[in-house]
Parts: sequence; structure tokens; C-alpha cells
Amino acid sequence: MSEVPTSEIMERTKTIELRVLRYRPVSDHEPVFQAYQVPYSDDMSVLQVLQSVKDTQDGTLSFRWSCRMAICGSCGMMINGDPRLACNTFVRDLAPNPVTVEPLRNFPIERDLVVTVGDFVKKIESIYPYIIPKTPKSIEAGEYLQTPAQMAAYESFSDCINCMLCYAACPQFGANPDFIGPGAMALLQRYNGDSRDGGQQLRLDSIAGEDGVWSCTAVGVCSDACPKQVDPANAVNQNKTKSALDFFLRFIRPKDQGAGAKS
Amino acid sequence: MSERRPYVRAQPRDWWARKPYLGYTLRELTGVGVVVYGGILLAGLISLARGPEAFEGFRSFLTSPLSLLIHLLLLAVMIWHVVTWFQTMPKTMPKLIANGRHVPQQKLTLAGVGIAAVCSAALIAAFLIAGALP
Amino acid sequence: MTPHPNPRRSMAPIFWLMFGAGGMLSALFGPALIVLTGIMLPFGLGVPGGFGDYSHVLRFAQNPLGKLIVLAVIALFFWHGAERIFLTLKDMRAGALPILRLATYGVAAVLTLVTLALLLEIGF
Repeated sequence: MSEVPTSEIMERTKTIELRVLRYRPVSDHEPVFQAYQVPYSDDMSVLQVLQSVKDTQDGTLSFRWSCRMAICGSCGMMINGDPRLACNTFVRDLAPNPVTVEPLRNFPIERDLVVTVGDFVKKIESIYPYIIPKTPKSIEAGEYLQTPAQMAAYESFSDCINCMLCYAACPQFGANPDFIGPGAMALLQRYNGDSRDGGQQLRLDSIAGEDGVWSCTAVGVCSDACPKQVDPANAVNQNKTKSALDFFLRFIRPKDQGAGAKS
Repeated sequence: MSERRPYVRAQPRDWWARKPYLGYTLRELTGVGVVVYGGILLAGLISLARGPEAFEGFRSFLTSPLSLLIHLLLLAVMIWHVVTWFQTMPKTMPKLIANGRHVPQQKLTLAGVGIAAVCSAALIAAFLIAGALP
Repeated sequence: MTPHPNPRRSMAPIFWLMFGAGGMLSALFGPALIVLTGIMLPFGLGVPGGFGDYSHVLRFAQNPLGKLIVLAVIALFFWHGAERIFLTLKDMRAGALPILRLATYGVAAVLTLVTLALLLEIGF
């Protein structure tokens, strides 16, 4: 690993070739690769290289970004065929070979590296992403208390930054765009695993269909792609177990529980 | 007037053969080995039901070099099934907490493979013991 | 597309649980079974030659517990493989789903019935 001087801007003495998949809906019939030769220094991320291109070579290049520190989830894209955050991927690890940059796999391309996010948002909204209190309390009655162990039970699932890298990694989402997907399931488990929440049956019913957990075949690459160690594969697959048991146990469940999936 | 014209890239037909999915496909194909072995057992049952001559024919096939080769291949496939099974199984369980820390999935995999080794060893040992009895 | 709030419940759990049972059974005992039936018994290694005899095996298969074991092993191994092969063929887009289901689950169902019929035929 090269030393990064903090007191001065590093001189850009090396050049990397960036091959970016471009797509302009008004003028292009289909996406086409465009190559850029970009000076870089060892401290630069792929995001910074893209910004360098936009600032100095081609202002028409479009891509999403915001925090530059792997917490906003905006800059997800395919870098050398892997779903990665551009701000979290460093040119020094990829150089000197050309770097291929494409928009996130399995999503429609709006323009250049910008993909259509809309359906993902609808999926997140569909799993009741809020605490449905088990025993509601008034504000005067005080806070809901939770032990560290109770928080540890769902904490990793609350780390999701909605970057959609897991959806780009998942081949079953690639085959079935209606699959609820790993990210939405992580959020579901964040709530179902929360000791304050009483909405487990409601959420379980919402993912009991073919487009729910049952599109998953435990490929597992979603968890490999996740930049925040959320482990969405665990969120999906432990709910397969729950959903399968519920399939049979619903016949002995008290009638008033849960909104009920259509049998 | 919207200028949007989202472009959908088709999923490659051979995605299951490319990285990082090939390992997953090979894992799933161990199911073929399980089925083939089940088929051999069924063939034994069929010949058992047909009578002593048919069963002796099945037994003599089992002593052939071809049968030995098939079984060694099936054993390799079955062992790969065992390893990948316990790599996948922890995903289907809620995260375990022991001594206040999350139990890493690799530990569960190791435990599972260990239990499988003990079970298989015990089954073979049972036959060896039964065979040693007068 | 907004996901349906109350989707039609999938039948997948039935096949998934059988896949799981067969997978666990084959993971725990599969290697030993292959070594026993494929190597030790045919070549008489560690077990007396008579163990694999027609009369001995017949007695095992006529025993009710023996029948249960044989049915469980053969049927669950087939159902485990059927689910995996179905999903792999689906991944490979090998054909229309109803045909793939017939070729996998259908065959497993038939072979399960055949096993059951044979076990009953050899009597108690």
C-alpha cells in the first residue's frame, strides 16, 4: 500500500483507462462503451476519477454520488464486473489494467451510470418499514426499553444504506424483477427482529408468495457484495424457515392473528 | 414531454456458468449425485422384490469395477454436498449469540461438518461392530 | 410495480422442507451409506459376507422399521434432488416451468410411489 501524504495534494503522474458504458436516451439506440484516459494518484477512488472526467474531459457523463464515504448508498455501479460503491473502490487496487464501469446490473438504465430506482423504493415501502408496537405506550408512559442483546438481534439489518449492490448481485432478481429482493428483506428482518415490534405476522404474510422469499435460491452473493456487512442472505433465508413453518402452523394459529395471505 | 427511455439489459442466458455464480451452480448440481445414489438403492430394491436371482445379479454388479468407480465419484460428490450444505445452512437460522457475541457462520459450518463426520463414522462403526459379533 | 400486500401463498414450503430433510439426511449419512453399500458390503470389507445376502437384506426390508428407513432414504433423496434439479434447470431456462416441474417433482412422486409399492410387495 502506498503512503498517502496528508499535507499536500498528490501529484497525478499515472494514467488509467476508464471504459464507461454510456447511454443517452434521446440520441442513443443502445448503450455503448466510451474510453477515457484519466490521470490519477494512488489516493483516488473510482468516484474521484469519474468526477475528474466530468470536470475536465466530458461534462455529459452522468452518475449519482453524495457522501464520498460509503454511507449514503448513491454511487453503486459495476466496476470490472462486480457491484461496488465507486467511492469505496480505489484505482490503485485496479491499476494498471483498464477499468470497466457500467451501471448497476439488473436495473433499467436511465442515462449513463444512473439506473431506475423506483421499484426498489416501492418494495421497501411494502414491508411495513416502521415499528408496529407489540404493546403500544403513550408518551407519558415513557420509552420502550431494550437490552443490548435485544438490539444485537436486529442491529446488522439496520445498517443497510439502500445502495442496491445486493440487487445487482442477485441473479434471481435479475431473472425476476418482481422478487422482493435482499435489501427489502434485510429491512423486514430489522423490524421483525426488533423486540418492540409486534408486526411479525403481517410482514411474514407479505413475503409468503412466489415473489417473496420463495424466489431466493440461497446463491448468497448478495451478502458478499454488501459494503456494510448487513448479511441480507441471512435475512431472506431465515425467513424461508419462518415462512415454511408458518405455512403449516397457520392451521393451528388463533384466527385473529395477522392480515392473512390468500391461501 | 419526458425524454426518458429506460434501457433494459437482458440477463445473459449463461449467467449461472459465469463468476461469481459457478460455485453456486456446482453446489446445486451435487443434488444430481444424491439422486443417482437414490436410484442405485431403488435398483437394489427392485431386484430384491424380483427374487434371489435378480438380487444376485445386482450384487454382482456392485462388485464390478464400473460400480466401484461410480460409487467413488458419488462419494466425492456427496462429500462436496456435505461441505456446501453446512456452508449454506447457517443462513437459514437467526443469528446465534453465545457469550454476548455473534457466533460466526464459519463456526456453525465447522460444527455441522463435524457432526456429519461423526454420524457417518458411527453408522459405519455400527456395521463393523455387528460384523464382529458372533 | 408495487408488491401485492396479500400475495397468493406459494406452495414452495412443501418442497423446500422435503429438500431440507433430504439434504440433512444425505449430509449426515450419505457418505457412510455410499461406503457401506458401494464398497464395504459388496467386497465384504469389515462385514461378514453374509450381510449382503438376499435373505438377510430381505429380512431387513420386511421389518417395519427397515421399510421406514428404506422409504425415508430413497424418497427424501429423490425429493431433495428434485428440488435442486428443478431450480437449476429453471436457472438455466431449460424449458417451461410446468414441464420442468413434471420432470423433477413428477418423477420424484412416481418413484416414491414405486418404492412404497415395492416395500409392500415384499411383505412383512
